[in-house]
Amino acid sequence: MKIAVMQFPGTNCEFETLVAVKAVDMEGEIFRWNRSAGELSDFDGFVIPGGFSYQDRIRAGVIASKEPVMSALKEEADKGKPILGICNGFQILVESGLLPGRSISCDKESEKGSNMGVGSGSNKASSNVDMALAQNVMISKGKIVRRGYYCDWVNLRHESPSKRCSGSFAIERGALLKIPIAHGEGNLVTTTPGLIKKLNDDQQVIFRYCDKNGRIINEFPFNVNGSTESIAAICNEQGNVLGMMPHPERAFFAWQLPAFDPRKQRADEAGPGRRVFESMKRYIEVNA
Amino acid sequence: MKIIGLSDPEVEVSLRAAGIGMSVPEARTIAGVLGRDPTLTELFCYDAMWSEHCSYKSSRSTLREFLPTDGPNVVMGPVEDSGIVAIDDKWCVVISHESHNHPSQVLPNEGAATGIGGIVRDVNCMGATVVATADPLRFGNPYGPKANKVRWVAEGVVDGIWQYGNALGVPNMGGDIVFNDSFDDNCLVNVVSIGIVRRDQIIRSRAPPLAGEKGYDIILIGKPTDSSGLGGVTFASEALREEDEETNRGAVQIPDPFLKNVLFKANDDLFKLVREAGVEIGFKDLGGGGFTCATSEMGSAGGFGMEINLDDMHKAADFPAEVLSIAETQERFLIISPPELREKILKIYNEDWDLPNVYEGARASVVGKINTGDRFRVSYKGEMACDVPIKHLTEGIRYNRLELPRTIKVSEPDFAEPADYNDVLLKILRSPNIASREHVYRYYDTEVMGNTVIRPGEADAGLIAPVRGEMFGVALAVDSNPFYGRLSPYWGGATAAAEAMRNVAAIGAVPSTLTDCLNYGNPEKPEAFWEFREGVKGLAESCKNLYLKGFEDQQQPVPIVSGNVSFYNESPDGSVDPSPVVACVGIMKDISKAITMDLKKAGDKLFLIGPRFDELGGSEYYQTILGVTGANVPIVRFDLERNMIYAVIDAIDEGILAAAHDISNGGLAASLCEMALVRPARFGFDVDLAGEGVQGSEGGMRTDKILFSESSGFVLEAKAGSEARLIELLKKYDLEPMQIGTVTGKRRIVISRSGESVADLDLDEARNAWMSGLVEAMR
Repeated sequence: MKIAVMQFPGTNCEFETLVAVKAVDMEGEIFRWNRSAGELSDFDGFVIPGGFSYQDRIRAGVIASKEPVMSALKEEADKGKPILGICNGFQILVESGLLPGRSISCDKESEKGSNMGVGSGSNKASSNVDMALAQNVMISKGKIVRRGYYCDWVNLRHESPSKRCSGSFAIERGALLKIPIAHGEGNLVTTTPGLIKKLNDDQQVIFRYCDKNGRIINEFPFNVNGSTESIAAICNEQGNVLGMMPHPERAFFAWQLPAFDPRKQRADEAGPGRRVFESMKRYIEVNA
Repeated sequence: MKIIGLSDPEVEVSLRAAGIGMSVPEARTIAGVLGRDPTLTELFCYDAMWSEHCSYKSSRSTLREFLPTDGPNVVMGPVEDSGIVAIDDKWCVVISHESHNHPSQVLPNEGAATGIGGIVRDVNCMGATVVATADPLRFGNPYGPKANKVRWVAEGVVDGIWQYGNALGVPNMGGDIVFNDSFDDNCLVNVVSIGIVRRDQIIRSRAPPLAGEKGYDIILIGKPTDSSGLGGVTFASEALREEDEETNRGAVQIPDPFLKNVLFKANDDLFKLVREAGVEIGFKDLGGGGFTCATSEMGSAGGFGMEINLDDMHKAADFPAEVLSIAETQERFLIISPPELREKILKIYNEDWDLPNVYEGARASVVGKINTGDRFRVSYKGEMACDVPIKHLTEGIRYNRLELPRTIKVSEPDFAEPADYNDVLLKILRSPNIASREHVYRYYDTEVMGNTVIRPGEADAGLIAPVRGEMFGVALAVDSNPFYGRLSPYWGGATAAAEAMRNVAAIGAVPSTLTDCLNYGNPEKPEAFWEFREGVKGLAESCKNLYLKGFEDQQQPVPIVSGNVSFYNESPDGSVDPSPVVACVGIMKDISKAITMDLKKAGDKLFLIGPRFDELGGSEYYQTILGVTGANVPIVRFDLERNMIYAVIDAIDEGILAAAHDISNGGLAASLCEMALVRPARFGFDVDLAGEGVQGSEGGMRTDKILFSESSGFVLEAKAGSEARLIELLKKYDLEPMQIGTVTGKRRIVISRSGESVADLDLDEARNAWMSGLVEAMR
């Protein structure tokens, strides 16, 4: 079982992500952006780690989504192989259409501004921006209390049944995971009517931000970035592609937890983020 | 440029007209050594290399006189870009500490960002993986006459730090922030970076042995050289004047964390290549003094000369030789390597990591050769731009500055005890210098790399576990109190070193080394130079008297392995308060033993160590409540201090403490409150100040002085059942164990004295004050 951890110029979480991949007994290697894209078919799964690919030029994830390796990844995804996009990886997946975010539509209204004039690559020129990860806007009691970059530990509730999605394949519905976030643009927004309802109906919403008891409270600090309906992670229709803003690789060991979490003292134990990587492995085993 | 035969005023005019900062006698010395008039490029090269920033011309003799730089754990002292200390037989910590004060004052965002950019290069070029940064920051008064400018600077600096550090992917382990009037026109932005390297894989910043005989290549890598940061070191070596602001902005470099991120990964491949080839290379970052500084220092350190051709340098445009020589374009490194590796090295940067496509014009270029001569020769467009004795250029000059004690009028205030301690406590907790730093550190990626064990705000020091599979951790804390420095530059230095060590001890780590960034005014003024000397003396005294734990029998000082001197932090309105900023690296053998400051369990007993003294000069209480600075600053009682630090480290190692926090700004009261207010903020406390030592060394001390004296000490939460052992341990170290109270589940802060209520505050109300102070100051 071999995982490619994708590396673009500006990626900065590939090394700890590779540690997490290997720690659940999968093989893995870092796959540099200028390697031959054809080699990707040798892998059983893919992780697009966090960072600032191409310096977040234009908008986070936009440039990386135009790289040839992304077209190849799309072909691998079509074969049902799992892809996990974390933070900037989530942004890249949305921008490249591997996750809901870009659709081919004839709707005139949404054609406006759809062609960003960047590169060519995998997306047809007529694709529309349905959804984006916009700048964080922290709202409490109806007031904006902060904007932009934020780093903290958050609580996540697993929203779908297990086996719905590769990256949460072995996680039961309602499970709570404490995992850190660190991003400036994680605020999931959409202007396409009905998209959120569709995601909900199809059980494509995988994680939501919640309080420590699992309650969804749609304001800061629980909804940490202003995301619509506190959404922290979504998958594609097939369920093999997962994008999430929080960083499971940074919550892989109990010693990484914040000081006030009692599990921190049990240094040898697994951290909550490990379950995401275990899920990916289980998904590959079941679908092999 | 003509110098020989001209009068002093004439030389002065031509130097200034050319934008050269050196003095006329300096220019004459150069002409004398060369035996001719120097070229413009030569003067610019000397100007950079002989600047205060590069040559330490005013400070070097003082540093040599006082600072201990060697020790059993020192692998490399302050000779190159970073210092190195051993963690164990295999692994080492690399640390560097600098200032980026002037650039941050004129262009806060870029100035602070390039500060981080420069310091991480210093660490990386030793062959190390950069694993953490920290930023000690000093800003002006956010409520003073220059509040708008101060807030603009503060916001820009914080933005610059997170925008660079987060994108680069190095966690920020903290730092500190102090606001005071003396920084109104001169902020201080110090930057600290640490790295990890295997002892057998350290790379030196010098031309390796036989480099001259074998004609080693000089390879420049990274961003194409442009004119940015021109004269940066000269600018850093003068006082700031508002009318020069436009010119000064041109001396600030342009940051690019994105390119740096790619360069670091390519550098890893370079390190791997030379390990596999089994050869030694020289590797150095380009910082202050730019290309000239990096090349000449590496050649000089190896005892060689060099021949450089600027036509071969990759550049952003056709700049004149003097610009290419000393511009401080960011994101560049220099390699000195054997010719047989040339093609492989160029491939790493130009093909594997594809620099030319990652950043326009970036690449690796061979720009010259090392030789066995003793000249630094640079040619450009068929002409000799520079041909000087390399040692003369790099060894700089020395000045013996005059020192004169600064006399200031100080007195202790005479005042009544406050009637309402709840109100006083809330005011102190809300003060910008005491309030929670959370507003700022939430901008910093504290988690990237996945190594973080203790993050900013959770304890007095940050802790990372930088090597997977190893149990050790590296702790980092920074400190310096400008208010003490103003009243006593000596004790300002001594307390900074002592507190930084206390901070790492509070999580259980053993202080292993210190670095110092010495921020002072114009050294040509005898009072400023005296302040500098006093600060260094104080710093050195703490190092020499708080022995390296494990070597206390030999009275081994805690070594200072790296540092920086930043003079000229002044404007026409005055200079900054003396600020010897100290960073302390601590080593923790087993990260699972580390503890944090948050109260852990209702019913646990609270202990104070460190008697209170009537020494509130420069204290938060005097300033915030009384609006005066006072006179008597806290001093370091070396034996007591050492015993406290050792006892806390041992107690944590034995596993008998649940929480620990050192006492500093805001005194005992602030320390206790912070333990309750930091997340999870679930517990209150009930404390009584009746105990003997608590009441001051002579007993009968006033309640406000007990609560707010900033005498050194710790508050400890003992694990239930461990109290007797703790008392025994403290007594072994000649410390008076003072059990002062209990952790409660009541969510109230309760302080009494001999049963009589002093303060009784709702935890949430106190937390609200503590959480808002910094937000309000930076809004």
